[in-house]
Parts: sequence; C-alpha cells; structure tokens
Amino acid sequence: MNDSDRKLMTKIFSSYYLQSDLGVVAPEQREFGVGFSRKIESRHLSFTTAAELRSYLANNTPFFVSHSISYYDFPAATPMEKKGWKGADLVFDLDIHAEGKYGAFAHLERVRNDLVRLVDDFIKGDFGCRDVMVNFSGNRGYHVHVRDKEFRSLGSDERHELVDYVLGNGLDYLKILEDSGTKPPKLLGPRPDEGGYRGRFARGVLKLLDEKPATLSRKLTDQKTKDYFISGIKEGNWSRISLKYADVRTRLRPVFDSLPVTSVDTDAGVTHDLSKLIRVPNSIHGDTGMIAKVFEDPAKFDPLTDALLPSGQELKVSFIEDTPSLVMKGETIGPFKKGDEKGLNLAIAAFFVLKGSATLKAA
Amino acid sequence: MIGGLDFAVRYPFTAEAKKFMEGVELTDRIVELAVARIKKALDGDDRPRVVLHDSDKEEEVASFAAARMMLAHLRNPFLTNRFAVNESKLARSRIDKADAEEREAVARSFGIVTREEGGMVLDLPTYLKYSPRSVDYLLINKRLARGMVWIKESEKNRIVEEAVKKHIEKLPFVRDAPESIVRAGEKLIAELPKAPGRISAPLNVKDHPPCVEKLLESAQKHENIPHQARYYLATYLLTIKMPDEDIVQIFSNFPDYAEKITRYQVGQIKKKAYSVPACATVLGYGLCCAVCRIGSPLNWHTLDDGRKGAIRSSMAGSDERKVAGKPGQAAGGAERK
Repeated sequence: MNDSDRKLMTKIFSSYYLQSDLGVVAPEQREFGVGFSRKIESRHLSFTTAAELRSYLANNTPFFVSHSISYYDFPAATPMEKKGWKGADLVFDLDIHAEGKYGAFAHLERVRNDLVRLVDDFIKGDFGCRDVMVNFSGNRGYHVHVRDKEFRSLGSDERHELVDYVLGNGLDYLKILEDSGTKPPKLLGPRPDEGGYRGRFARGVLKLLDEKPATLSRKLTDQKTKDYFISGIKEGNWSRISLKYADVRTRLRPVFDSLPVTSVDTDAGVTHDLSKLIRVPNSIHGDTGMIAKVFEDPAKFDPLTDALLPSGQELKVSFIEDTPSLVMKGETIGPFKKGDEKGLNLAIAAFFVLKGSATLKAA
Repeated sequence: MIGGLDFAVRYPFTAEAKKFMEGVELTDRIVELAVARIKKALDGDDRPRVVLHDSDKEEEVASFAAARMMLAHLRNPFLTNRFAVNESKLARSRIDKADAEEREAVARSFGIVTREEGGMVLDLPTYLKYSPRSVDYLLINKRLARGMVWIKESEKNRIVEEAVKKHIEKLPFVRDAPESIVRAGEKLIAELPKAPGRISAPLNVKDHPPCVEKLLESAQKHENIPHQARYYLATYLLTIKMPDEDIVQIFSNFPDYAEKITRYQVGQIKKKAYSVPACATVLGYGLCCAVCRIGSPLNWHTLDDGRKGAIRSSMAGSDERKVAGKPGQAAGGAERK
C-alpha cells in the first residue's frame, strides 16, 4: 500500500472510531495491543475508560487493535506476572484455512454452520453457558466470547480440555456402540435424549433414518422395519436390525465423524493461552477494512455485506492484480483484471486496497 | 461431629479446622510435629497418627498449619508437592471411611456440591478445576449436558482428593516466618537425602516431541502426572535407550515417587518390550499438545530443525509474547510511533 492510500485508509478508520461505540466490556481491566502493519506491534497498553480508548483509536488510528481475553488489576504492568490476573473470558476462534487471498470467502458458509453448532450444541447445550457473544473476526472466521462468571477462573489446562472436547480429541467410537457381551449379543448405544456427543450421535442417526434411510440399509426403506429399529434406538438398544453389528458401526461412522467442530483453531491458543490478545469486537481489521462485527443471529449475518464499513461514498480504484468475483452487499463484484479501473463503494474499494489488489485513483 | 475437634484432626485443611488454631501458641512441640509431618510425606507414609487427648488433637491440627507455614517459607516445590500428595491421600483414606454427612462437609469446603439428576451431577467449572488428569476423567469420556457432568460416588471422592491436593499446593503468603519455623526448615533442607529439583540424567538425544518435553517439564517442577503419562514417558525414554538408572532418577522428581514401584514398573515395560504409544493414543490420554502430524512420537527425530521449530512456534503462547511491544507503556493518548 502506498503512502497516499494509507493516509486515506487511516482517515476512514479514524472517522469510524470517532462515531462508534465498540462496547468493550470492562476496558479498564484489559490489556490492549495495537499494530500498524501487523496484528500486534505493541502491547501492554491500557485505557481507563471507553472514551479514552476511542480517543486513542481516533487520534492514533492503528490498523489492528486487540485486547486481552484476561482481566487484570494492572493491565499495563510487565512482566505478565505483575498484572494481577483476575480471570478470563472463554474464547473460541473459528478459522478457515484456504488457499489464496480470497479463497476463504468461499468457505464462510461452512464455518458459519460450525459456529452455530459450536454455540448451540456445545457452549450453550453441553457447557451450559448463558453469556455468549459472537462476532466476525474481520477476515476469515468468527470469534465466540463466553463471559459466564463461573468459567472465568478456569486455568489453561481446563480450557484446553474444553477445546479437546469440542474437537472430539480422544473420542472413542467403539465406546459409543458397544457389544453387550451377553448371549445373544446386543448392540448397545446412546439414547437420543442423552446429553453430549452420545445424544447428538443418536439424534444424528435418527435424522439420517428420516432423510436417507438407504445409506444405512436398503431394508430400512420399509417403514415397519425402520420404525422397529428406531423404537430400539430410543431405548438405547441398537440391535433391532438384521445387519451385522460391524456393518452398523461402519455405515454409521460418518455420522459420528461429523459431530466435532473441526474449524475451531487451537494452533493460535486463543482459548487456553491466558496471555492471548484477541481482536477487539467491532474494531476494523486492517487487512480487509471489514468490521469485526458483533451479531445476534448467524443465519441473518453475511460478513461480505454486514461487516463492511457503512458509507454511501464512491472511490475510484485501479487493480494491480486479478481478483475473483465476490458477492458483496448483495451484488456480484468482479472479477477484475490487472489494470481495470472502477468506481466502487468506499467499503468495497477499501477492501481491495487493503487486500493489496488495488490502489486508489486520485479523484 | 462436623466442625468438631475430631473433624479438624481428620481434615486440617478445612475452614472448620482453622478455628481450632486461633490462639494456639507455636510451641517447639508443634514445630517438631510439623517437621515429622513433612518427613512422613517424604517417606510416602500416609498412615494417620493416633491422637487420643484433646491437647494432642489441638497440636495435631496446629502441626498441619505449621508445616504449611514452613513450606511457604521454604518455597521448595519438591517438598510442597510431596506434602500435598501425601496429605491428600491421607484425607482420601478418611473420606472413604466417613459417613455421607462428613463426606459432604469436606466436599462442600471446596465448593464441590453435587445433586441428583438421574445420577450424581457436578457443575462443569468445578469438575474441570478438580478432576484428576487421567484418561477416565477426560470430559470427552463423560456424560455432559447443560453444564453438568455425571459422576459416580467414588469419582466424587477422587475429585475431593484432588481438590485437597490443589489446595495444599497453593501456599499461603508468609512474610516473616517465626524463628523456630525458619530454623526447623533449614535443618529439614539440610537433612534431605539428595538435592531435589534437577534432572541431571544425560539424554542421548538432544530434544524430544513437545508432549514429552511437557512431561519432563512437569518432572522438573515436581508436578504429579497421571499413570498413562508415566507409562508413555517410560516407554519413550526406554526406546531412545536411556539407561534405567537415569529414568528412575527422572521419575524420582514426581511427588509421589516410590523407588521400588518405579524400578519394578520400568523393569516390566522393558521385559515385556512395550512399545511407545502412537500419537493417536497419546491424544486419547489427553497428553497431545502440538500439531506435529508425525503418527508416532518417535518420528520426531526424523524431522529437520526447521519443521521442529515451526511446530514449536505454532504452540500456545509462543507468538505474541515474542513480539511484545515496549514494556510498561501505558498508552492512553500515547503518540503514534
């Protein structure tokens, strides 16, 4: 990005921060980190009020701003031990790993499905959390912030265990469908009303039987045979079918394999590393110009529309590389070829400039 | 009686026991008993001391507090962890024999409150805090719904044991320990059979997979690790041809170390030629801590330094701490650099 583009981007970011309430919870207890060309160039910053944070962002305008998942007595103190740890939000990071600059945007839908399962089935369903906030990461994923008081004091190992649970690490399929060891042998399994993975597996199988019974066995297209099998499952008896148990296991394996939420990113350690900084919700991501927007209903949230900066203004850009077509704000944008010149909505122009695919044309 | 002197003797770590320590003068006898209490832990002797008279009982309760004060003053993780393990085992043996009311009272003192929900349930945060690091207690193997974990009575007792251990491991802050405690502490350290706290065994290979390094780190810090972790560590170290003696020396760092048992088990693993568990098994034990994608921990030694470095730097806490900005800078209104 050249200097004049950078100047204009800074101006756009600054005016956003001047007008927005980011809604940071307990800013005075958080450590902040900022960066101008990458996520974090400087950390151990602190602000006593939301107004102070806003004035800093509007005047200094970093391209990236993050805050600690932890709460501290002295957030600016160093080294870490002197901060006085008070607890931490439980945070999950859902990420897409895709090839190319724009590859991730094609997969946002899949990650959104994972997000819904993570929040509804795991965080609210299994863990019983109530204070759950979800936001777009600003680039290619989602963040979930859980603020229930009971979970705040959990240490790193305990948080790791929650991630392992979500990822299904150590989950044993043979324990889900067990041989009874009796004569005649029975195949014992979970009931649909059970909690956790077991119940979800049973419900997943019932759904499969409802939608595509033939994937398990062609015999199950006969309603009577199917009903008999289902009546057994409801009691935890998976034997009411004339199939070898080994075959039942093999054919139901895909249901089991689809249960964990695999797009939870553990590499970055957001959940279990208590010193971690995470993008401030509702702040702007400097690589995309998109807002790390907090939202209520994942079904109604489309990042490429709802997370764009609000503006009616148009800017003229010149493309310096080819880009694929994307659906933004309900319109198909592109594809563009290197050398194309085009007038675009400010938010969309900023997106391509920050992505390094275009430069601004002087008006 | 719950909260009575006998209860305090059995469970000296509870709030109820504390009231018996108020106003008790720290006599030489109590300090002597405290030292004996720590030495018992070093010997792994978790049999209770028999006390009959009330004055003996008060001294017994006070000896626990004095021992903790001494440990807080010494700040020796080896002694602290041995003491915590031994005292929690002692408490466990008492809990196992206690009636329901007494068991409840001890559990409640750690916020461990269970209820009936088609079986016994414990709330998830408390479960996570106090469940032992063992494969049977991994959340993934538990029935879990709406923030409740279903547990058995015996598991609850084990969870309370772990809570006792964690409580004792967390030392109170002692600014100026009484002279008698300081002196007895110095004497105790001088009498220790060997200098604890170091792994001096030579390793034939320079580095190990992250999961093994984590276990070795635990040994260094004298943290207790679960059975499967020890088994894994032993098979691994034997396979890389570390001499038995050196393995035993590493295991001697664990707080509940018993030389005879360790030698026997290392011998058995060797005799039966048990192989190093595959990564999938290590994951199942809950010990995997990095994304190496090597199938077997032994394949670590086939990786080049670049790959090893990449795996290590992708582990928790290794990125942002290194790019930390200028320390101590409070930035409200700081100038842009």
